Amino acid sequence: MDRIQIPATSRSPLVDFDFAAGHLILRGESYPEDAAAFYGPLLHALRGCLEEGGGALTFDVALSYFNSSSAKALMNLFMPLEDAAEEGRAVTIRWHYAEGDDTIAEAGEDFAADFSHARFEMVQETAA
Amino acid sequence: MSGETLSPPPDVAPAPVQPRRSGSLRGAGPMRRGDAPAGLGFAEVPTTQDGGADTMRPGALRGAARGRNLDGLAHTLFLRLAPVIAVLVLLTQVVIAWVNYGDQIRLSGERAQMMADMTARALAQPGWTTSFGPQLQALGLDPSVRFATLRDASGTVIGRLGEEPRGRSLERIQVSSEIEAGPEAQPAGSLTLVLSAEGLRAHAEKQFVMVLGASAVLILAFALSLRLAVARHVLAPLTRLLTAMGRVERKDWVTVDLAGSRRPSREIAEISAAFNRMVEGLRSGDEARHLLAELERTHARLAEANGLVMESLGYARRIQQAVLPGQAALEGGPLDVAVLWEPLHVVGGDYFWVEEIDGGGTAGLSVLVVADCTGHGVPGAFLTLIVATALDRILHDQGLRRPDAILAALDGVVRARLRQHAGNSDLSDDGLDCGICVVDRAAGTLDFAGAGLALTVLSGDGVARIKGRRHGLGYRLTGREETLSAVTVPLGDDRTFFLMTDGISDQMGGTSRRLLGHRGVAEILERHANQPLAEQVAALDAALAAHRGAEARRDDMTLVAFRPKGD
Repeated sequence: MDRIQIPATSRSPLVDFDFAAGHLILRGESYPEDAAAFYGPLLHALRGCLEEGGGALTFDVALSYFNSSSAKALMNLFMPLEDAAEEGRAVTIRWHYAEGDDTIAEAGEDFAADFSHARFEMVQETAA
Repeated sequence: MSGETLSPPPDVAPAPVQPRRSGSLRGAGPMRRGDAPAGLGFAEVPTTQDGGADTMRPGALRGAARGRNLDGLAHTLFLRLAPVIAVLVLLTQVVIAWVNYGDQIRLSGERAQMMADMTARALAQPGWTTSFGPQLQALGLDPSVRFATLRDASGTVIGRLGEEPRGRSLERIQVSSEIEAGPEAQPAGSLTLVLSAEGLRAHAEKQFVMVLGASAVLILAFALSLRLAVARHVLAPLTRLLTAMGRVERKDWVTVDLAGSRRPSREIAEISAAFNRMVEGLRSGDEARHLLAELERTHARLAEANGLVMESLGYARRIQQAVLPGQAALEGGPLDVAVLWEPLHVVGGDYFWVEEIDGGGTAGLSVLVVADCTGHGVPGAFLTLIVATALDRILHDQGLRRPDAILAALDGVVRARLRQHAGNSDLSDDGLDCGICVVDRAAGTLDFAGAGLALTVLSGDGVARIKGRRHGLGYRLTGREETLSAVTVPLGDDRTFFLMTDGISDQMGGTSRRLLGHRGVAEILERHANQPLAEQVAALDAALAAHRGAEARRDDMTLVAFRPKGD
């Protein structure tokens, strides 16, 4: 599975899905006009990677803003990960939020409630 | 001289400047067959006469570029230089001829003297005074001898030959020789000889005529070679330059060829090279201008297209606003209601509804709905229309009054409308967050149910937030949905309720550049808690803008604030 690297724009996050290394990253803001078009290929690739099987998978999500469409898309990315974890794969999701950013922290907690097999870590980032 | 004729450039190059100083060059040349008036020559190229503004008047160069006016240059050069050369050649030749003539005269004099001496020596014999005849006659054999006299010691002429010539002494050479006295019967005497110089003069005249002819030939040769060189190395390149200028004037970007048999003189080559550089500069400037014009046209088309889109959106906004409750519905009821509805792009996916409705009991119910459909702009606006229609049917046809029941019904309608059945994975995965409050003033209660949307309650105790179900309405089912449920809270006397979409709290900005969040919104609301409701909402709007600063808004935003009207 090829690595997917997309630079960040003002409306979409940096994407670095390194399937071979088992490390996925989303960082930035996410409010593309068409969230389905942006996240569709990522979801497709993720599913393909999970079908191939492999080692531990870590997904770092560090979004400072995402709209409701992106939230839905994130949910769609998380579901196959949770399913894979249920089947025995070691999956860790690291949810990064800025110190004091209740909105993102709260959203992370909401997502965390959907996971019972994958590890969902809340990572507070202090301002540099 | 030939050096001058074959190297015209150094001498003639400055010539074109001369007409500026005076009109003499133009006037100097007589009209020749085929000549245009000399006044149309170089000086007429409108560089100085009409001022700079007319310098590049279209067509100004065309007349000059035809080239025939340039004949004036060679013509003028010839007329200026030929007399000088002619006079110099003539003077030189005349001096040479004069010196030559003088030498001839001297040589002839010496010869005559020798002849006289020889004859005198031959005569010097006893009795010569009587026997001089043959010697004297022998002198007559020389055709140039005109006259000879023989005198004795007393000066008496004893013999003569020929006639004594008259006229100018210039034309004759006169010499004399003494006859020395001998021992016996040989008295002294003298012989005078006069020779004609006419032959010499005729010879000098002939030489003079030949010099004149040679001068004329030289001048002709000079004129021809000058004309040829000027035509080849000056006039032809200038004509090419002028032709090119004429074409450049019409924005035909041609350059001048600097090679070839008609290679220009160095100065003209430099001017031509400068001209070529100028043309390149103009050409690129012209291309830049064209690109700029093209850009402006594209910009105009984009502006027009954008104008059409904005016009269309403006119309759509009027329709969307017509679907929202009017001012009368907001003010007429038992609740004090204030609304902030601000789509991100003219129209949006946020929707609200406020209605006084028959509750079946003694008093009516107030239904307040805020919905945040996925997406914003036009796609969001489409969804709001579905929600508006569905809500109308649910409230009036189905008569549902419990907020959780209304949400469930909305969920069903939206999913049916967007055909989001299980297994139909290609279609829409859209939906909405929604919060519904049903206020029963008589009972003093408020029923709230939310799907992804919370109820914020501001009271003397601070700000409380009642979250709804975590998942929205519509969307494809994930199997993880929480069941919808309603909560009932007392209306209270000092409570203000807020239903707001996440666009209100999701304001990126501030010094740490992060989202304002619910807590930030709550702080703002608390600061303005004692103000009238409309002012609270306006203050919140201003505070949100202040938090954003230079950041753009991220989403549509809607807030419906309400509280029971005071008695």
